[in-house]
Amino acid sequence: MTNLSINSINGAARSVTGAVIRAVPEVTVNYKRANKTIAWIGKKISSPQNRLILGVSALLSQPFIDLNNRKVDEDTRKISAARTVAKIIAGTLTGVAIRAGCIKAIDAFSKLPAQLKNVKNPKLKTLFTPEAALNGVLKDLTHYKKALGTIISLVVMTFTNFLIDAPLTKFLTNKFVDKIHEKDKAKVVKLQTNKEVAHE
Amino acid sequence: MSKSSLFNGFKTLVAKHYGSNTGKMLIHTGVIGWILSSAAQVAAIVINDKIPKEQKMYLIPQEIADAAVNIVSFYAITQTFSSVAKRLVTSGKLLPKSVKDWMSVKGLLGKIGNSTSDIYKAGLSASAKKRLDMFKEGIDVIGTTAGSILSCNIVTPIVRNEIAANRQKTGIAKLNSGTESVSNINSVSHKREFIARPSMQNFTNSSYLKI
Repeated sequence: MTNLSINSINGAARSVTGAVIRAVPEVTVNYKRANKTIAWIGKKISSPQNRLILGVSALLSQPFIDLNNRKVDEDTRKISAARTVAKIIAGTLTGVAIRAGCIKAIDAFSKLPAQLKNVKNPKLKTLFTPEAALNGVLKDLTHYKKALGTIISLVVMTFTNFLIDAPLTKFLTNKFVDKIHEKDKAKVVKLQTNKEVAHE
Repeated sequence: MSKSSLFNGFKTLVAKHYGSNTGKMLIHTGVIGWILSSAAQVAAIVINDKIPKEQKMYLIPQEIADAAVNIVSFYAITQTFSSVAKRLVTSGKLLPKSVKDWMSVKGLLGKIGNSTSDIYKAGLSASAKKRLDMFKEGIDVIGTTAGSILSCNIVTPIVRNEIAANRQKTGIAKLNSGTESVSNINSVSHKREFIARPSMQNFTNSSYLKI
Protein backbone atom coordinates (compact mmCIF):
# COMPACT_ATOMS: atom_id res chain seq x y z
CA MET A 1 0.00 0.00 0.00
CA THR A 2 1.30 3.45 -0.79
CA ASN A 3 1.81 6.10 1.89
CA LEU A 4 -1.04 8.09 0.38
CA SER A 5 -3.56 5.25 0.73
CA ILE A 6 -2.34 4.42 4.26
CA ASN A 7 -2.74 8.09 5.22
CA SER A 8 -6.21 8.31 3.69
CA ILE A 9 -7.31 5.10 5.46
CA ASN A 10 -5.89 6.39 8.75
CA GLY A 11 -7.64 9.74 8.17
CA ALA A 12 -10.96 7.98 7.52
CA ALA A 13 -10.42 5.82 10.62
CA ARG A 14 -9.84 8.97 12.70
CA SER A 15 -13.04 10.60 11.36
CA VAL A 16 -15.11 7.49 12.11
CA THR A 17 -13.51 7.25 15.56
CA GLY A 18 -14.35 10.88 16.33
CA ALA A 19 -17.97 10.43 15.23
CA VAL A 20 -18.35 7.23 17.31
CA ILE A 21 -16.80 8.81 20.42
CA ARG A 22 -19.17 11.78 20.17
CA ALA A 23 -22.19 9.53 19.68
CA VAL A 24 -21.75 6.86 22.36
CA PRO A 25 -22.76 7.44 25.97
CA GLU A 26 -20.37 6.89 28.90
CA VAL A 27 -20.23 3.26 29.99
CA THR A 28 -18.71 1.84 33.16
CA VAL A 29 -17.88 -1.86 33.37
CA ASN A 30 -19.13 -2.62 36.85
CA TYR A 31 -18.68 -6.37 37.17
CA LYS A 32 -15.34 -7.51 38.59
CA ARG A 33 -15.51 -10.67 36.53
CA ALA A 34 -16.05 -8.74 33.29
CA ASN A 35 -13.08 -6.48 34.06
CA LYS A 36 -10.92 -9.52 34.87
CA THR A 37 -11.96 -11.17 31.59
CA ILE A 38 -11.11 -8.04 29.57
CA ALA A 39 -7.66 -7.81 31.24
CA TRP A 40 -7.14 -11.56 30.64
CA ILE A 41 -7.98 -11.16 26.93
CA GLY A 42 -5.42 -8.36 26.62
CA LYS A 43 -2.74 -10.44 28.30
CA LYS A 44 -3.39 -13.88 26.84
CA ILE A 45 -4.98 -13.50 23.41
CA SER A 46 -2.43 -13.22 20.65
CA SER A 47 -2.07 -14.23 17.02
CA PRO A 48 -2.73 -18.05 17.33
CA GLN A 49 -5.91 -17.46 19.33
CA ASN A 50 -6.88 -14.61 17.01
CA ARG A 51 -6.39 -16.91 13.98
CA LEU A 52 -8.49 -19.63 15.69
CA ILE A 53 -11.30 -17.14 16.42
CA LEU A 54 -11.14 -15.95 12.80
CA GLY A 55 -11.28 -19.56 11.55
CA VAL A 56 -14.25 -20.56 13.71
CA SER A 57 -16.19 -17.40 12.83
CA ALA A 58 -15.28 -17.92 9.17
CA LEU A 59 -16.88 -21.39 9.31
CA LEU A 60 -20.03 -19.78 10.71
CA SER A 61 -20.28 -17.09 8.03
CA GLN A 62 -18.42 -17.69 4.76
CA PRO A 63 -20.11 -20.94 3.58
CA PHE A 64 -23.50 -19.25 4.00
CA ILE A 65 -22.34 -16.22 2.01
CA ASP A 66 -21.29 -18.59 -0.81
CA LEU A 67 -24.52 -20.59 -0.57
CA ASN A 68 -26.57 -17.38 -0.86
CA ASN A 69 -24.66 -15.92 -3.82
CA ARG A 70 -27.64 -15.73 -6.22
CA LYS A 71 -25.45 -14.55 -9.08
CA VAL A 72 -24.21 -18.09 -9.77
CA ASP A 73 -26.01 -21.40 -10.32
CA GLU A 74 -26.81 -23.83 -7.49
CA ASP A 75 -24.06 -26.32 -8.37
CA THR A 76 -21.40 -23.60 -8.34
CA ARG A 77 -22.74 -22.30 -5.03
CA LYS A 78 -22.47 -25.72 -3.38
CA ILE A 79 -18.97 -26.45 -4.71
CA SER A 80 -17.85 -22.94 -3.82
CA ALA A 81 -19.08 -23.38 -0.23
CA ALA A 82 -17.37 -26.80 -0.02
CA ARG A 83 -14.08 -25.27 -1.15
CA THR A 84 -14.49 -22.40 1.29
CA VAL A 85 -14.98 -24.84 4.20
CA ALA A 86 -11.94 -26.86 3.11
CA LYS A 87 -9.85 -23.72 2.78
CA ILE A 88 -10.88 -22.47 6.23
CA ILE A 89 -10.12 -25.82 7.91
CA ALA A 90 -6.70 -26.15 6.22
CA GLY A 91 -5.76 -22.50 6.76
CA THR A 92 -6.86 -22.44 10.39
CA LEU A 93 -5.12 -25.70 11.32
CA THR A 94 -1.78 -24.72 9.81
CA GLY A 95 -2.13 -21.04 10.77
CA VAL A 96 -2.75 -21.75 14.45
CA ALA A 97 -0.14 -24.53 14.69
CA ILE A 98 2.65 -22.59 12.96
CA ARG A 99 1.99 -19.35 14.86
CA ALA A 100 1.93 -21.21 18.21
CA GLY A 101 5.05 -23.21 17.28
CA CYS A 102 7.04 -20.15 16.22
CA ILE A 103 6.07 -18.21 19.36
CA LYS A 104 7.17 -21.18 21.48
CA ALA A 105 10.48 -21.39 19.60
CA ILE A 106 11.11 -17.65 20.04
CA ASP A 107 10.26 -17.99 23.73
CA ALA A 108 12.97 -20.63 24.16
CA PHE A 109 15.63 -18.31 22.74
CA SER A 110 14.52 -14.97 24.24
CA LYS A 111 15.50 -15.38 27.86
CA LEU A 112 16.02 -12.46 30.22
CA PRO A 113 19.40 -12.12 32.04
CA ALA A 114 17.70 -13.17 35.30
CA GLN A 115 16.65 -16.49 33.71
CA LEU A 116 20.19 -17.46 32.72
CA LYS A 117 21.48 -18.90 36.00
CA ASN A 118 22.88 -22.44 35.49
CA VAL A 119 21.85 -22.40 31.85
CA LYS A 120 24.04 -24.06 29.22
CA ASN A 121 24.86 -21.92 26.19
CA PRO A 122 23.45 -18.59 27.42
CA LYS A 123 24.32 -16.84 24.15
CA LEU A 124 21.96 -19.15 22.25
CA LYS A 125 19.25 -18.71 24.87
CA THR A 126 19.37 -14.93 24.36
CA LEU A 127 19.59 -15.08 20.56
CA PHE A 128 16.28 -13.23 20.11
CA THR A 129 16.41 -11.16 23.31
CA PRO A 130 16.40 -7.45 22.39
CA GLU A 131 19.22 -5.25 23.66
CA ALA A 132 16.84 -3.24 25.84
CA ALA A 133 16.04 -6.43 27.79
CA LEU A 134 19.72 -7.45 28.07
CA ASN A 135 20.47 -4.00 29.49
CA GLY A 136 17.65 -4.38 32.00
CA VAL A 137 15.51 -1.58 30.53
CA LEU A 138 12.79 -3.90 29.24
CA LYS A 139 11.56 -6.32 31.90
CA ASP A 140 8.54 -8.00 30.30
CA LEU A 141 9.02 -9.72 26.95
CA THR A 142 5.57 -11.37 26.71
CA HIS A 143 4.21 -9.19 23.89
CA TYR A 144 7.61 -8.93 22.16
CA LYS A 145 7.97 -12.73 21.95
CA LYS A 146 4.45 -13.10 20.56
CA ALA A 147 5.07 -10.36 17.98
CA LEU A 148 8.42 -11.76 16.83
CA GLY A 149 7.04 -15.32 16.76
CA THR A 150 4.14 -14.13 14.62
CA ILE A 151 6.45 -12.31 12.19
CA ILE A 152 8.65 -15.42 11.83
CA SER A 153 5.54 -17.58 11.36
CA LEU A 154 4.44 -15.39 8.43
CA VAL A 155 7.68 -16.17 6.62
CA VAL A 156 7.26 -19.89 7.38
CA MET A 157 3.65 -19.79 6.17
CA THR A 158 4.63 -18.28 2.82
CA PHE A 159 6.05 -21.74 2.07
CA THR A 160 3.58 -23.92 3.97
CA ASN A 161 0.79 -22.09 2.13
CA PHE A 162 1.85 -24.05 -0.95
CA LEU A 163 3.33 -27.13 0.71
CA ILE A 164 0.52 -27.89 3.19
CA ASP A 165 -2.52 -25.58 2.83
CA ALA A 166 -3.01 -25.93 -0.92
CA PRO A 167 -2.82 -29.77 -1.13
CA LEU A 168 -4.85 -30.14 2.07
CA THR A 169 -7.51 -27.75 0.72
CA LYS A 170 -7.63 -29.71 -2.53
CA PHE A 171 -7.94 -33.02 -0.67
CA LEU A 172 -10.71 -31.76 1.63
CA THR A 173 -12.55 -30.02 -1.24
CA ASN A 174 -12.60 -33.28 -3.23
CA LYS A 175 -13.93 -35.16 -0.20
CA PHE A 176 -16.70 -32.60 0.38
CA VAL A 177 -17.58 -32.42 -3.35
CA ASP A 178 -17.83 -36.24 -3.51
CA LYS A 179 -20.20 -36.13 -0.53
CA ILE A 180 -22.32 -33.44 -2.23
CA HIS A 181 -22.49 -35.47 -5.45
CA GLU A 182 -23.41 -38.64 -3.52
CA LYS A 183 -26.22 -36.76 -1.77
CA ASP A 184 -27.45 -35.29 -5.08
CA LYS A 185 -27.43 -38.75 -6.68
CA ALA A 186 -29.35 -40.23 -3.74
CA LYS A 187 -31.91 -37.43 -4.09
CA VAL A 188 -32.39 -38.14 -7.81
CA VAL A 189 -32.78 -41.89 -7.18
CA LYS A 190 -35.33 -41.20 -4.42
CA LEU A 191 -37.30 -38.86 -6.70
CA GLN A 192 -37.32 -41.45 -9.49
CA THR A 193 -38.44 -44.20 -7.09
CA ASN A 194 -41.23 -41.98 -5.79
CA LYS A 195 -42.35 -41.23 -9.36
CA GLU A 196 -42.38 -44.92 -10.25
CA VAL A 197 -44.39 -45.76 -7.12
CA ALA A 198 -46.86 -42.98 -7.98
CA HIS A 199 -47.27 -44.38 -11.54
CA GLU A 200 -47.96 -47.86 -10.22
CA MET B 1 25.91 -2.05 8.44
CA SER B 2 26.92 -5.53 9.70
CA LYS B 3 24.53 -8.48 9.82
CA SER B 4 24.57 -8.55 13.62
CA SER B 5 23.71 -4.86 13.97
CA LEU B 6 20.92 -5.29 11.38
CA PHE B 7 19.55 -8.19 13.43
CA ASN B 8 19.80 -6.17 16.65
CA GLY B 9 18.08 -3.25 14.93
CA PHE B 10 15.25 -5.55 13.85
CA LYS B 11 14.79 -6.91 17.39
CA THR B 12 14.78 -3.37 18.82
CA LEU B 13 12.22 -2.30 16.21
CA VAL B 14 9.88 -5.20 17.11
CA ALA B 15 10.29 -4.52 20.84
CA LYS B 16 9.65 -0.79 20.38
CA HIS B 17 6.56 -1.08 18.20
CA TYR B 18 4.90 -4.25 19.48
CA GLY B 19 6.40 -4.70 22.97
CA SER B 20 3.24 -3.45 24.64
CA ASN B 21 0.62 -3.36 21.89
CA THR B 22 -1.00 -6.62 20.78
CA GLY B 23 -3.75 -4.92 18.75
CA LYS B 24 -1.25 -3.04 16.59
CA MET B 25 0.77 -6.23 16.09
CA LEU B 26 -2.34 -8.17 15.01
CA ILE B 27 -3.22 -5.51 12.41
CA HIS B 28 0.28 -5.16 11.01
CA THR B 29 1.01 -8.90 10.86
CA GLY B 30 -2.46 -9.43 9.35
CA VAL B 31 -1.62 -6.98 6.56
CA ILE B 32 1.83 -8.57 6.05
CA GLY B 33 0.10 -11.97 5.93
CA TRP B 34 -2.27 -10.80 3.19
CA ILE B 35 0.62 -9.23 1.24
CA LEU B 36 2.77 -12.39 1.43
CA SER B 37 -0.18 -14.58 0.55
CA SER B 38 -1.06 -12.41 -2.46
CA ALA B 39 2.57 -12.13 -3.54
CA ALA B 40 2.82 -15.92 -3.49
CA GLN B 41 -0.27 -16.16 -5.72
CA VAL B 42 1.16 -13.66 -8.20
CA ALA B 43 4.55 -15.39 -8.13
CA ALA B 44 2.80 -18.70 -8.83
CA ILE B 45 1.41 -17.25 -12.05
CA VAL B 46 4.64 -15.52 -13.05
CA ILE B 47 6.77 -18.67 -12.73
CA ASN B 48 4.16 -21.03 -14.19
CA ASP B 49 5.35 -22.04 -17.68
CA LYS B 50 2.04 -23.74 -18.47
CA ILE B 51 0.18 -20.41 -18.59
CA PRO B 52 0.52 -18.62 -21.97
CA LYS B 53 2.01 -15.12 -21.93
CA GLU B 54 -1.22 -13.43 -23.07
CA GLN B 55 -3.16 -15.12 -20.24
CA LYS B 56 -0.52 -13.98 -17.76
CA MET B 57 -1.05 -10.39 -18.90
CA TYR B 58 -4.69 -10.76 -17.88
CA LEU B 59 -4.24 -12.91 -14.76
CA ILE B 60 -1.47 -10.96 -13.01
CA PRO B 61 -3.40 -7.63 -12.82
CA GLN B 62 -6.48 -9.64 -11.79
CA GLU B 63 -4.59 -11.22 -8.87
CA ILE B 64 -3.13 -7.85 -7.89
CA ALA B 65 -6.59 -6.23 -7.96
CA ASP B 66 -7.99 -9.00 -5.75
CA ALA B 67 -5.06 -8.63 -3.37
CA ALA B 68 -5.73 -4.89 -3.13
CA VAL B 69 -9.38 -5.58 -2.15
CA ASN B 70 -8.23 -8.01 0.56
CA ILE B 71 -5.52 -5.80 1.97
CA VAL B 72 -7.38 -2.48 1.88
CA SER B 73 -10.59 -3.86 3.38
CA PHE B 74 -8.66 -5.69 6.12
CA TYR B 75 -6.55 -2.67 7.04
CA ALA B 76 -9.34 -0.09 6.82
CA ILE B 77 -11.84 -2.05 8.90
CA THR B 78 -9.53 -3.47 11.57
CA GLN B 79 -7.66 -0.15 11.94
CA THR B 80 -10.98 1.68 12.43
CA PHE B 81 -12.22 -0.86 15.00
CA SER B 82 -8.93 -0.80 16.89
CA SER B 83 -8.83 3.00 16.83
CA VAL B 84 -12.43 3.27 18.11
CA ALA B 85 -11.77 0.70 20.86
CA LYS B 86 -8.65 2.49 22.12
CA ARG B 87 -10.24 5.95 21.93
CA LEU B 88 -13.31 4.78 23.87
CA VAL B 89 -10.99 4.05 26.78
CA THR B 90 -8.58 7.00 26.46
CA SER B 91 -11.47 9.48 26.18
CA GLY B 92 -12.99 8.04 29.35
CA LYS B 93 -16.21 6.91 27.65
CA LEU B 94 -15.55 3.27 28.53
CA LEU B 95 -13.90 2.59 31.87
CA PRO B 96 -13.60 -0.13 34.51
CA LYS B 97 -15.45 0.65 37.76
CA SER B 98 -12.27 0.75 39.86
CA VAL B 99 -10.73 3.54 37.75
CA LYS B 100 -13.98 5.47 37.50
CA ASP B 101 -14.47 5.32 41.28
CA TRP B 102 -10.90 6.48 41.86
CA MET B 103 -11.41 9.42 39.50
CA SER B 104 -14.71 10.26 41.18
CA VAL B 105 -13.04 10.37 44.62
CA LYS B 106 -10.26 12.61 43.28
CA GLY B 107 -12.79 14.87 41.54
CA LEU B 108 -11.30 14.25 38.11
CA LEU B 109 -14.44 13.10 36.28
CA GLY B 110 -14.90 16.55 34.71
CA LYS B 111 -11.66 16.09 32.79
CA ILE B 112 -12.89 13.08 30.80
CA GLY B 113 -15.87 11.89 28.78
CA ASN B 114 -15.76 14.03 25.65
CA SER B 115 -14.27 13.42 22.21
CA THR B 116 -11.12 15.50 22.87
CA SER B 117 -10.31 14.39 26.41
CA ASP B 118 -7.36 12.16 27.28
CA ILE B 119 -7.58 10.21 30.52
CA TYR B 120 -3.81 9.73 30.63
CA LYS B 121 -3.39 13.51 30.99
CA ALA B 122 -5.90 13.69 33.85
CA GLY B 123 -3.36 12.82 36.56
CA LEU B 124 -3.84 9.10 37.20
CA SER B 125 -1.99 7.36 40.02
CA ALA B 126 0.47 4.58 39.10
CA SER B 127 -1.90 1.80 40.22
CA ALA B 128 -4.91 3.35 38.43
CA LYS B 129 -2.79 3.73 35.29
CA LYS B 130 -1.74 0.07 35.49
CA ARG B 131 -5.37 -1.08 35.83
CA LEU B 132 -6.39 1.18 32.95
CA ASP B 133 -3.53 -0.12 30.75
CA MET B 134 -4.66 -3.72 31.27
CA PHE B 135 -8.27 -2.79 30.51
CA LYS B 136 -7.26 -0.80 27.41
CA GLU B 137 -5.13 -3.67 26.08
CA GLY B 138 -8.09 -6.06 26.44
CA ILE B 139 -10.53 -3.67 24.76
CA ASP B 140 -8.02 -3.08 21.93
CA VAL B 141 -7.64 -6.84 21.30
CA ILE B 142 -11.45 -7.29 21.37
CA GLY B 143 -11.89 -4.38 18.91
CA THR B 144 -9.16 -5.62 16.57
CA THR B 145 -10.51 -9.17 16.59
CA ALA B 146 -14.06 -7.94 15.90
CA GLY B 147 -12.72 -5.82 13.01
CA SER B 148 -10.81 -8.80 11.60
CA ILE B 149 -13.92 -10.99 11.76
CA LEU B 150 -16.02 -8.36 10.00
CA SER B 151 -13.46 -7.69 7.27
CA CYS B 152 -12.16 -11.24 6.61
CA ASN B 153 -15.38 -13.18 7.08
CA ILE B 154 -18.15 -10.86 5.96
CA VAL B 155 -17.11 -7.80 3.91
CA THR B 156 -14.28 -9.33 1.85
CA PRO B 157 -16.14 -12.53 0.78
CA ILE B 158 -19.19 -10.49 -0.27
CA VAL B 159 -17.08 -7.97 -2.23
CA ARG B 160 -15.03 -10.77 -3.83
CA ASN B 161 -18.14 -12.72 -4.86
CA GLU B 162 -19.56 -9.55 -6.38
CA ILE B 163 -16.35 -8.83 -8.33
CA ALA B 164 -16.02 -12.45 -9.50
CA ALA B 165 -19.67 -12.54 -10.67
CA ASN B 166 -19.21 -9.26 -12.58
CA ARG B 167 -16.03 -10.59 -14.20
CA GLN B 168 -17.87 -13.73 -15.24
CA LYS B 169 -20.66 -11.61 -16.75
CA THR B 170 -18.21 -9.37 -18.61
CA GLY B 171 -16.36 -12.42 -19.92
CA ILE B 172 -19.54 -14.00 -21.23
CA ALA B 173 -20.63 -10.70 -22.80
CA LYS B 174 -17.25 -10.34 -24.54
CA LEU B 175 -17.44 -13.93 -25.76
CA ASN B 176 -20.90 -13.29 -27.19
CA SER B 177 -19.74 -10.10 -28.93
CA GLY B 178 -16.63 -11.90 -30.22
CA THR B 179 -14.17 -9.30 -28.95
CA GLU B 180 -12.15 -11.55 -26.72
CA SER B 181 -9.78 -14.36 -27.63
CA VAL B 182 -11.06 -17.82 -26.79
CA SER B 183 -8.21 -18.60 -24.39
CA ASN B 184 -8.99 -15.57 -22.23
CA ILE B 185 -12.72 -16.14 -22.28
CA ASN B 186 -12.23 -19.67 -21.03
CA SER B 187 -10.42 -18.24 -18.07
CA VAL B 188 -13.18 -15.88 -17.03
CA SER B 189 -16.38 -17.61 -18.04
CA HIS B 190 -15.52 -21.12 -16.94
CA LYS B 191 -18.16 -22.52 -14.64
CA ARG B 192 -15.49 -23.45 -12.11
CA GLU B 193 -14.29 -19.88 -11.76
CA PHE B 194 -15.64 -19.65 -8.22
CA ILE B 195 -14.05 -22.93 -7.24
CA ALA B 196 -10.54 -22.44 -8.54
CA ARG B 197 -9.23 -19.48 -10.46
CA PRO B 198 -7.94 -20.37 -13.95
CA SER B 199 -4.35 -19.75 -12.94
CA MET B 200 -4.76 -22.06 -10.02
CA GLN B 201 -6.56 -24.72 -12.05
CA ASN B 202 -3.45 -24.95 -14.20
CA PHE B 203 -1.18 -24.76 -11.20
CA THR B 204 -3.26 -27.33 -9.27
CA ASN B 205 -3.37 -24.88 -6.43
CA SER B 206 -6.01 -22.71 -4.86
CA SER B 207 -6.30 -18.98 -4.54
CA TYR B 208 -6.92 -16.91 -1.38
CA LEU B 209 -5.31 -19.14 1.15
CA LYS B 210 -5.04 -16.61 3.94
CA ILE B 211 -1.94 -17.17 6.02
